[in-house]
Amino acid sequence: MLKTRFIPVAIDQAYQRRQKDSEGEFYRKIASQGPRSNFNGTTQGFYIATASGKLLVYNNNRNPERVRRLMTEKLGEFSRLETSARRGKSIEATTVDKRFNPTPPEGGLVIRVRAKILDGYEPTTDKWQRIFQTSMSRDNLWVSKTEHQALVQGKFPESLQQRIARFHLVDNTRGEPPFWNEKDVRKLRFSASSGRLKGEAHLETADHKRGYEAAFNGIVEVKNKKVVRFDAVVLGEFWGRGKYTGEPPKGRFPLAISFTLADGSDVADQIPPQASRGWVQGYIR
Amino acid sequence: MPRVSIKCAAVLLTLFPILSSTTARAAELSDTEFKRLHAELQPGDSPWLTIPWKISVLNAQQSAAKEDKPIFIWAMDGHPLGCT
Repeated sequence: MLKTRFIPVAIDQAYQRRQKDSEGEFYRKIASQGPRSNFNGTTQGFYIATASGKLLVYNNNRNPERVRRLMTEKLGEFSRLETSARRGKSIEATTVDKRFNPTPPEGGLVIRVRAKILDGYEPTTDKWQRIFQTSMSRDNLWVSKTEHQALVQGKFPESLQQRIARFHLVDNTRGEPPFWNEKDVRKLRFSASSGRLKGEAHLETADHKRGYEAAFNGIVEVKNKKVVRFDAVVLGEFWGRGKYTGEPPKGRFPLAISFTLADGSDVADQIPPQASRGWVQGYIR
Repeated sequence: MPRVSIKCAAVLLTLFPILSSTTARAAELSDTEFKRLHAELQPGDSPWLTIPWKISVLNAQQSAAKEDKPIFIWAMDGHPLGCT
């Protein structure tokens, strides 16, 4: 139903509710008709709306049966609307808020990052808990042109090591993770040699409540002065939780994180890194 | 003083195998394990991946106007396509 009878769009609403441009204005027009119309706070949930900007329903329930029922109901409601109310005119973007429309660095790389907890959870019969316990996260790592060139030359630049460690060696399998401060990076040694990537990292907060001790292994291939393959894995023991990543396994648990060069075939390749939200300069300098 | 040092040394010697094994676990990732894990941490062919998600509300509006369909907006804190 979602594939054929709707136009599905997925967003991190922290952008759209703040964007001072055509995209943000249209989103806020829809969201302001629902219960979450204070744009200083979250507006998360799902919305069904017409192209003219009329909200048909807002909900924040994740039960598949309930969502399916609402979708069916609203399709009926949509079909009964006057054509003018249903379709509206196509809206062109007349303004673009650069702060919330970051693009990957020119001449750089986008690398898909996925994380998964391999073991350690208590057995559960709760289907929602099981989803979290088996989930695999997705984020993107951006590599600058200078760093790309360094990789081509067989080097692993310090700036890239730091970005990977602080913003991508995280447990984001249950929600938005806390990142690491510079001081949390206790040990970090990634190297590239003859196409092989090796290294280790030790990250730990000052209060010792959250940490990750891990090894790094991978392959980088270069053709015509461009990186054409970047396959790597970080594997180690993680411990602790964040504000939005509650209920991890007890104690230390194995966390694996993979890195794969994006080829643009997945729409998610276009999404900015989570850690760059609202402050790209802090993520990639 | 020497007695304290001996005690400390004894404690460290007792802990050493535990500490060193933890460090060793974290510092080792064989080529075989790397390849296995890299393959395991790929999304596979989940039906989720067949949904033609757009990532711009305005782009969705344009398609909805053209195709006469309603827009389904999934709006989250953190990108939904980043939690697959």
